[in-house]
Amino acid sequence: MDDDRITIDVTDGAAIPRRKDAGLFSAWWIAFLGALLTLVSLLVFEPDPYLKILKFLPDGIVVTFQVTFASIGFALLLGLLTGIGRISKNRIVNAVASTYVEVVRGIPLLVQLFYIYYAMGRFVKVPDIVAAVIAMSFCYGAYMGEVFRAGIESIHKGQTEAARSLGFNPFQTMVHVILPQAWRTILPPVGNEFIALLKDTSLVSILAVADLLRRGREFASETFTYFETYTIIALVYLIITLILSKLVSKMEEKINYYA
Amino acid sequence: MKKVVLCLLTVLMLSSSAWAKKIVIAQDATWPPMEFMNENKEIVGFDSDYMKAAAKEAGYEVELRNVAWDGIFAGLDAGQYDAVCSSVTITDERKKAMDFSEPYFKVRQALVVPKESAAKTLEDMKGKTIGGQIGTTGYFVTKKVEGVNAKSYDEIGLAMEDLFNGRIDGVVCDDPVAAQYALQKAEYAAKLKIAAVLDTGDEYYGVAVKKGNKEVLDLINKGIAEVQSKGLDKEMRAKWMGQ
Amino acid sequence: MPDSDPIIRIENVSKHFGALKALNNVSLSIESGEKVVIIGPSGSGKSTLLRTINRLEEVDAGTIIVDGWDIRNAGNNINKIRMEVGMVFQSFNLFPHKTVLRNLTLAPTKLKGESRAEAESNAMRLLDKVGIRDKADVYPAKLSGGQQQRVAIARALAMSPKIMLFDEPTSALDPEMIGEVLDVMVKMAREGMTMVVVTHEMGFAREVADRVVFMDHGEILEVGTPAHFFEDPQHPRTKKFLSQIL
Repeated sequence: MDDDRITIDVTDGAAIPRRKDAGLFSAWWIAFLGALLTLVSLLVFEPDPYLKILKFLPDGIVVTFQVTFASIGFALLLGLLTGIGRISKNRIVNAVASTYVEVVRGIPLLVQLFYIYYAMGRFVKVPDIVAAVIAMSFCYGAYMGEVFRAGIESIHKGQTEAARSLGFNPFQTMVHVILPQAWRTILPPVGNEFIALLKDTSLVSILAVADLLRRGREFASETFTYFETYTIIALVYLIITLILSKLVSKMEEKINYYA
Repeated sequence: MKKVVLCLLTVLMLSSSAWAKKIVIAQDATWPPMEFMNENKEIVGFDSDYMKAAAKEAGYEVELRNVAWDGIFAGLDAGQYDAVCSSVTITDERKKAMDFSEPYFKVRQALVVPKESAAKTLEDMKGKTIGGQIGTTGYFVTKKVEGVNAKSYDEIGLAMEDLFNGRIDGVVCDDPVAAQYALQKAEYAAKLKIAAVLDTGDEYYGVAVKKGNKEVLDLINKGIAEVQSKGLDKEMRAKWMGQ
Repeated sequence: MPDSDPIIRIENVSKHFGALKALNNVSLSIESGEKVVIIGPSGSGKSTLLRTINRLEEVDAGTIIVDGWDIRNAGNNINKIRMEVGMVFQSFNLFPHKTVLRNLTLAPTKLKGESRAEAESNAMRLLDKVGIRDKADVYPAKLSGGQQQRVAIARALAMSPKIMLFDEPTSALDPEMIGEVLDVMVKMAREGMTMVVVTHEMGFAREVADRVVFMDHGEILEVGTPAHFFEDPQHPRTKKFLSQIL
């Protein structure tokens, strides 16, 4: 069964370490230890302004995580529906899902965020962070949809036939047979998308959502410590994404148990 | 061929330096009526006219450049332009980081709220969210008020839009700008009003230059003095603010 | 006692794949407990016909009645009908993410509400029957082709179907493993299961079939007992086919 496994490459995520990249001299370890060492030495040897900057950021980091986790949750759900819709034989469902993907993929994320945020403002009142989550989920739902579609399509048609011939309905077939297998193919690109999404949440700072980036900019604009502030912001983002990419690769190893 | 190009470049450089000194000025053209983009994509407004008039009076040239507010001082520090004239209030904090010209304009902070609001002071806004542009004095004074949630925006127009849509409860910015949005723009004027000009003290705009850039600072100060002595600033005020 | 209705009744069934006529006005009735072997050259429509019986293949025209249910009637729950019709595929199609035991218990527990213990004891009995009780806890990828196919048969039997369909069950197997799978099928036949088998194994057809059906170009050309079929075929194309493979 190993031979027909399909890997899906999605750009823009952080590089997820593979098994062969283990060891202390892998790119991951160099980057991680380097970032950590730089951060710590800045904090220790130049607490003013670096420690002050870092102390200003925690609630922004919390917001970044909130937006990331809420968005990835909704995006996964939307992506699953979209992915299934894209391979549905029902023409209307298929057309809706495909149109959604086409529209979202054709518009830059930044523009969509602006549009959804301000367009929504005209009709419904939702807090800015909710608007940001809706906008991010809407965009990433389409990307996830393509990941799910590819993942589901990577499962041999015989699996569906076997399940259906036993009496499973399409929904049960998806839940018990297809998705548990597709997950292996889907997880790496989903992990990538997850990390890409975390980085893209920095865009919500233009919506005046007080995330990590915006907190940093607020600090910098008041103290004129642009270089120092962006150094810290970059290091914080880097450390977070490196940890997440390690977690994703650990999960990948786990999920390969039955191969 | 290379030599010809080199010669031409040298001639160009020499000739340009033979002309009057040219000062590049950064403005964040999102701050009407002080500096904003007109339909012809030119930066116009009170500040822009002021800088052109000052240059004419003092005998130098200006080039206006549109730069986003967030980072406008970082660009000054990096030498990407010679000065920032963009409704910059002279503050002690900023004076530590850059040099300022003589003050050329007096403003106060104004609070813009929806028409139905009864608020008259910032203290009346306790428990509410007030927007302001990131890195502006309006945002700083809001942040100092206990119990008010200060929210920073990249552009003042985005804060006004969120106020218009009801996402936030007020906006604090320089009074000419507040007047522009709350009174001049028909759609907003129907829904928004200036609740109060705040009691946070007079503020003065100055032109910022990189610390120690005396050459540029002197030229600009000379121009400002000329403009004021001839009363040209009053004409501009009438033109842009109707007062 | 009058003969009960046939358990499978296929009447005037046609199906197209684009311009290709896969089934052309085919009719066939199969009695309960009967073993029918369908043979024919590749592309003759024999697999398609088999797959119409549990509606894995939709037909364009005709009637298909399975155990009294009109499976083309949208009002009838096809999933219920499929529980009574087990199917074995050429490529096994075991669920690779489940152990052998779980492959057998998944459908009974999820679809028939059997308790896990109940389903597992039944599964172990079936694994015993197909001779791979000791592999209950391994994943399918660890099994040989012959073992996988025997698990697939046990999986289908775990739903206690009334009918078993076999779609070239030995075609993907190495020659030395064909016997172990056929043995299981012969055993099942002796126990009285209704079986419809598409295969190239003429030995199996001769030994087990009550009737042999020969198909070509989407049509049934000849139906008969193995004796009639292998000793005295009537249709020229049957003769030609048999001469090629025997």
